[in-house]
Amino acid sequence: MKRPVLTLYCLLVYAFLLAPILVVVGASFNAGNFLTFPPQGLSLRWYVTFFHNDVFMRAIRTSLWVAAVATVISGTIGTMAALYYVQHAGRWKETVRVAMLAPLLLPEVLTAIALLFFVYAIGIGTTTMIGMVAGHVLITLPFVFINVSASLESFDPSWDMAARSLGADRLTRFRRIMLPLIKPGVIGGALFAFIISFDTFTISFMLKGIGTSTLPIQLFDYLRTNFTPEAAAVSTVSIVLTLVVVIVSEKVLGLRIHRF
Amino acid sequence: MTEVSIERLTKTFGTARAVDGISIRIADGEFISLLGPSGCGKTTTLKMIAGFEEASEGAIRFDGKDVVNVPAEKRDIGMVFQNYALFPHMTVDQNLAFGLEMRKIAKPEMRSRIAKVLDMVQLGGYSERFPNQLSGGQQQRVALARALVIEPKILLLDEPLANLDAKLREEMRVFIRDLQRRVGITTVYVTHDQAEAMTMSDRVVVMFGGRIAQIGAPSDIYERPENLEIAQFVGQVNLIKGTIIGAAEAGKRRVASVFGEVAVDSREDYAPGTAVTLSLRPEAIELRPEGQGGAAGKVTARYYSGSIIDYRVALDSGETLHVQTFPNIRIAEGDRVSVHAPADGFWLLGAAK
Amino acid sequence: MRAARRKGLGPLVLIAPAAVLLGIFLILPYLNIVVMSFRMPGQGTPYGPGFTTGNYTKFFADSFYLHQVANTLWIGLLTTAICLVVGFPVAWQLARGTMRFRALAYGLVLSPLLVGIVIRSYGWTILLGNAGLINRTLTGMGLIDRPLPLMYNALGIVIALVHVFLPFMILPIMAGIQGVDPSLESAARSLGASRFTAFRRIVLPLCTPGIQAGCILVFVLSLSAYVTPSLIGGLRVKTMAVTVVDALIDTFQWPWGSALALMLSVTGALCVVIFARLTRMKWKVARP
Repeated sequence: MKRPVLTLYCLLVYAFLLAPILVVVGASFNAGNFLTFPPQGLSLRWYVTFFHNDVFMRAIRTSLWVAAVATVISGTIGTMAALYYVQHAGRWKETVRVAMLAPLLLPEVLTAIALLFFVYAIGIGTTTMIGMVAGHVLITLPFVFINVSASLESFDPSWDMAARSLGADRLTRFRRIMLPLIKPGVIGGALFAFIISFDTFTISFMLKGIGTSTLPIQLFDYLRTNFTPEAAAVSTVSIVLTLVVVIVSEKVLGLRIHRF
Repeated sequence: MTEVSIERLTKTFGTARAVDGISIRIADGEFISLLGPSGCGKTTTLKMIAGFEEASEGAIRFDGKDVVNVPAEKRDIGMVFQNYALFPHMTVDQNLAFGLEMRKIAKPEMRSRIAKVLDMVQLGGYSERFPNQLSGGQQQRVALARALVIEPKILLLDEPLANLDAKLREEMRVFIRDLQRRVGITTVYVTHDQAEAMTMSDRVVVMFGGRIAQIGAPSDIYERPENLEIAQFVGQVNLIKGTIIGAAEAGKRRVASVFGEVAVDSREDYAPGTAVTLSLRPEAIELRPEGQGGAAGKVTARYYSGSIIDYRVALDSGETLHVQTFPNIRIAEGDRVSVHAPADGFWLLGAAK
Repeated sequence: MRAARRKGLGPLVLIAPAAVLLGIFLILPYLNIVVMSFRMPGQGTPYGPGFTTGNYTKFFADSFYLHQVANTLWIGLLTTAICLVVGFPVAWQLARGTMRFRALAYGLVLSPLLVGIVIRSYGWTILLGNAGLINRTLTGMGLIDRPLPLMYNALGIVIALVHVFLPFMILPIMAGIQGVDPSLESAARSLGASRFTAFRRIVLPLCTPGIQAGCILVFVLSLSAYVTPSLIGGLRVKTMAVTVVDALIDTFQWPWGSALALMLSVTGALCVVIFARLTRMKWKVARP
């Protein structure tokens, strides 16, 4: 290594970044009733408890459902907006960008509260999932937009012109040239959207209805009163689910990314 | 094949006239170059022919049919872009097949056409490569093949050699020219490189500020430029002051200058006594050791570059000349010289300003 | 391009869904919350009839809230500063390093983003608690007799917030450094600048936008963070975000909660504006 001090420093930072995550995963295999160190033997009992806990299982299903719906909606809307932004916005470009990034720049707490009051003001309240899904779409939209517009910016307009000169109409050009080339950006954006939605707390916390708690909320509630390693088991499963999504989208959808 | 006729073609951006009422007739199978500095409107003109820019005014006719309202994808053109614009996610074969698929060409014919054109650009074994696995020159030839395989009405090239190194560029000039002759396709070539335009074209269109400055065969442009700007753009030029004495044979004018009295070619007539500017190309000048007539001067600098030698010569009359010769004469810096120029090396540019 | 512009309506279809979404679910709710902050407090209802500026006067009259705002800002500033110091070298190494495990390192930086904020804060409670990993280890080694107060105070909150938001500092700075051509640095050094001077005079000014973006992002995020302060600060240390959410969830004081939330956001925005002004001025002076 060329600069040992810098390298060592960075390693420490990486350790710092990983530490709480590793601790949670480690704690989930604790056989004892409380989070003690060193653990009182290894066991999967907290996983068993968790899988029999209906509240948590329902929360996982809710989380996955909301994340999937939000990803599809914000993936579509965000990609369309990115197309407009890069190719057609003209002098409105900066306005569009700021507007699309607004949900990221505004404090999430404020957005969540505003949205909560709003769903009550228009009379739908939190009995439906509309408010929750809208909130998730809002906060995931900037990530889709950023990723897709970045890949669109590196899309060379002469590719499109070349396809035109070869006789391809608008739809064919989009399908055969643009879409394959911006696919990494779209997949990356959708992946981000899914993970952000799956993990987000504040929005879900304010907009949840009765029985529509997501996993982070359920975990948070649990942590306020309980200290058993079951929470660690729940967390570990959540981390593994996220990893699975990342790996699957990389392997299945992203295979072609590496071809060029 | 196709004859292209451009009539009073104009492109305005806001109030700016990027292309200002140009007219060109391009014969079937002709290779024509649009030559000019950047911003002269040559690329905009090409894009209007291709259909990527809408014409503000005027007509573009392919074989007499106005195509101004035909979208680019229906114009049946082949285009080669400056950065090649090969589709990075497709192999060479898929790149070539793309245009044929758009035309719904049957598989067997597609295969044979691709094989034929790949052979033509000498890339027989490369059909399964991706563009990023090819060198710049190879990508260039794929781009050319992709444009030609669809057998378009006309071939448009937008500074296709600009990204290649000097040696490859010279090879590709010859390659493209030969290929174009063999295929016999009407071709419009945009470049800012005068040597490129000269070596490849049947005719050169020189453009300045959105207008056509001169159209003609390369030799015409080089030897009989319409004005000083063109003369300077297409090569090095020495400007010599002269005075009209009278008419000479075959439309020439007798002009007195530091080189004595010479009969000079001219497009226009001038009254005797008019002060005029003559152009004299550096390679037309001959240097001899002192005392052999001609104009007297002194070599102030000498630059050796292998195939030629460049000299700067200060004439005793005060003018400075740029001279290019073969390296077979040995004249050193500081030598006094006699400067000779043949009558046909001069061209009457116009009245002195 | 011109053809597209002339069609006019065609491309607008692309932006329409986003515009409608943002209009209905972002702009309208924000207008609504501003109105809400001027409503009368209700008796047994979220808000009463009529309008008042009372929610704001209450805020300015009570030093408790001003103090809490100051506290929140202080935690935000501290978090941002530490993130910058901790993150910059890492961003530098990621952008310029020639190490073999660059992809892995990048993955490590991203990894916290893949794990929910609740889980990460939970991890910190395991580490920082009185009976947590750190205190246990230190007591076990005989270095301390009593557990260090790492949790239920501002220190714990800042440690956890730094962890939670560090990637948001590293990634923009890394992008900024990557945007600076390394040959500029070589050029500066060939002109006689020391490694440090080359960095300060050439690289730093050029990657300023990345640093600014990272700082603003971390600051804004930490101001509105709810989970981490709530889990680590417990009932003892409350930040504004926690107070606001509690005011709404537990006591249903909508107008009051709105005013608080808006005051927090406005203060945060002011800080960002001041920060942007200050940094730009400073760097302008530094440039010739």
